[in-house]
Amino acid sequence: MTFWLIIAYSLLILIGAVLLYMTFRKGDRRYIYLAVAFYVIFPVVITLDLPADISPEVLQLYEAVEALPDSSTVMLTFDYYASTLAETEPMSRAALRHLFGKDCRIVTMTTIPLGGPSISERVTREEAAACGKVYGDDFVNLGYKANYVAVLKGMGNSIESIYPTDNTGTLLSELPLMRNVQNYDDIDFIFVVADNGVVEYWMSIVNAQYGTPVGSGVTAVMAPKIYAYVGSGQMTGLLGGMKGAADYEKLIKRPDFAVKGMSAQSLVHMFIICSVIVGNFIYFRERKYGRTGSGGKSA
Amino acid sequence: MSFVEIFQIWLIAFFTLALFSFLYKDNAFYKLAEHVFAGLSAGYYVGLTWNSVIIQQMYDPMIINGKWYLFIPGLLGLMMFSRFFKGFHWISRFSLAFVMGNTAGIFLISELHGKVLPQVQGTMVSINPSQGFGPTLLSLIIIVGVVSTLIYFYFSKEHKGLLGGVARTGIWFIMISFGAHFGYTVMARVSLLIGRVQFLIDDWLGSFSQIFS
Repeated sequence: MTFWLIIAYSLLILIGAVLLYMTFRKGDRRYIYLAVAFYVIFPVVITLDLPADISPEVLQLYEAVEALPDSSTVMLTFDYYASTLAETEPMSRAALRHLFGKDCRIVTMTTIPLGGPSISERVTREEAAACGKVYGDDFVNLGYKANYVAVLKGMGNSIESIYPTDNTGTLLSELPLMRNVQNYDDIDFIFVVADNGVVEYWMSIVNAQYGTPVGSGVTAVMAPKIYAYVGSGQMTGLLGGMKGAADYEKLIKRPDFAVKGMSAQSLVHMFIICSVIVGNFIYFRERKYGRTGSGGKSA
Repeated sequence: MSFVEIFQIWLIAFFTLALFSFLYKDNAFYKLAEHVFAGLSAGYYVGLTWNSVIIQQMYDPMIINGKWYLFIPGLLGLMMFSRFFKGFHWISRFSLAFVMGNTAGIFLISELHGKVLPQVQGTMVSINPSQGFGPTLLSLIIIVGVVSTLIYFYFSKEHKGLLGGVARTGIWFIMISFGAHFGYTVMARVSLLIGRVQFLIDDWLGSFSQIFS
């Protein structure tokens, strides 16, 4: 097994080096695309278990959920568009598995019109079916309502005033779970999964004004900004991009899509780092000794 | 796997590959996928907004539940369309004034109470050495970073001498921040590619065995 792994890694390095050489030799950026495609496809086809430590912010969120008493009521949001599914859906699935595993009662919702309603319905139903949970008793999907600021503020007074019915049109008063959930006072934790600025309003409106603890899973693009809120204690933990989702999958001991994708992620990052180093080396060398010439498109 | 599911997978695969084909060069398949996406998004958004806003939040409560006072926000919404009619565009200012006043009222509290004050409080950290070398160093980095970055954005005095030196330190912190943002952006974009590749390999190539079995 070790022999084949050595062969695989040697092949990876060799192909990367050749494509990088071709990029700078021919001056064609499409070799870079080819290399990135190769490094993404290779670990999807051949499993490489590259090591990765669990981030403290992910551990903080996991421990916050773990510390919730069994049968707590948790609100899980699907505030993301279909375009970021690769990063956000694994977070939602991992959160649902963890929460259902603790017998928590889950209220799901979305503030995103394009994709949010159908994604929340599909993902929640699939995970609930896998865990043997019953709609109305164990989980409820409120669906989508426009104007997230009004929705977030309004649910502080009454969830029913904002969502008279659930996603399928059933009155909330007919759903056993919702009879005891009137507003944020009846919700123990809010798990926001988002790919946009809505996550900040969950923190600045709901957490700051109603005191409900908020933890979040966000796309990698947003993560650096949200780290500041974790540092100030406003946000209880954070899943940052696919790495955060992979860490959470490991913590709940259900490795899935994100864990599988992290090997590809690591390989592409290593290739990009090598490209930056080689590119800078060539740039400074050409500046010192003069351009040796390489026609074609600029890389 | 049913015929409809296989058809869906092949449709998704076609548009995925059509979009990726742009990496080689611009072509008709890419343009087709781009236009279909834009059209579908617009149509879906209009349909969803009609149902979730006009029907669920105005028509149903007003007609079925008798909440007739909802004609006021409805009227304010209609007044926004006066911008399209020359000579009557001033009517839309009433709606805009309502939106601006409402938004300012809501965000004044949430921004101050939810962002500004807690973030300022978050930078007021202890630099007592008794907490250990690591935490003290991190606290110092936070203090130096916040102060120097703020000074970089202070433009009422020329950045020379001590002020210039501190401002240049601020630039370094900003650059490191940009680097972190760039690294995370790369990770985000690669994640999207991984998602598509996993779909193509697991679902699309997987559907071949379903078709030929």
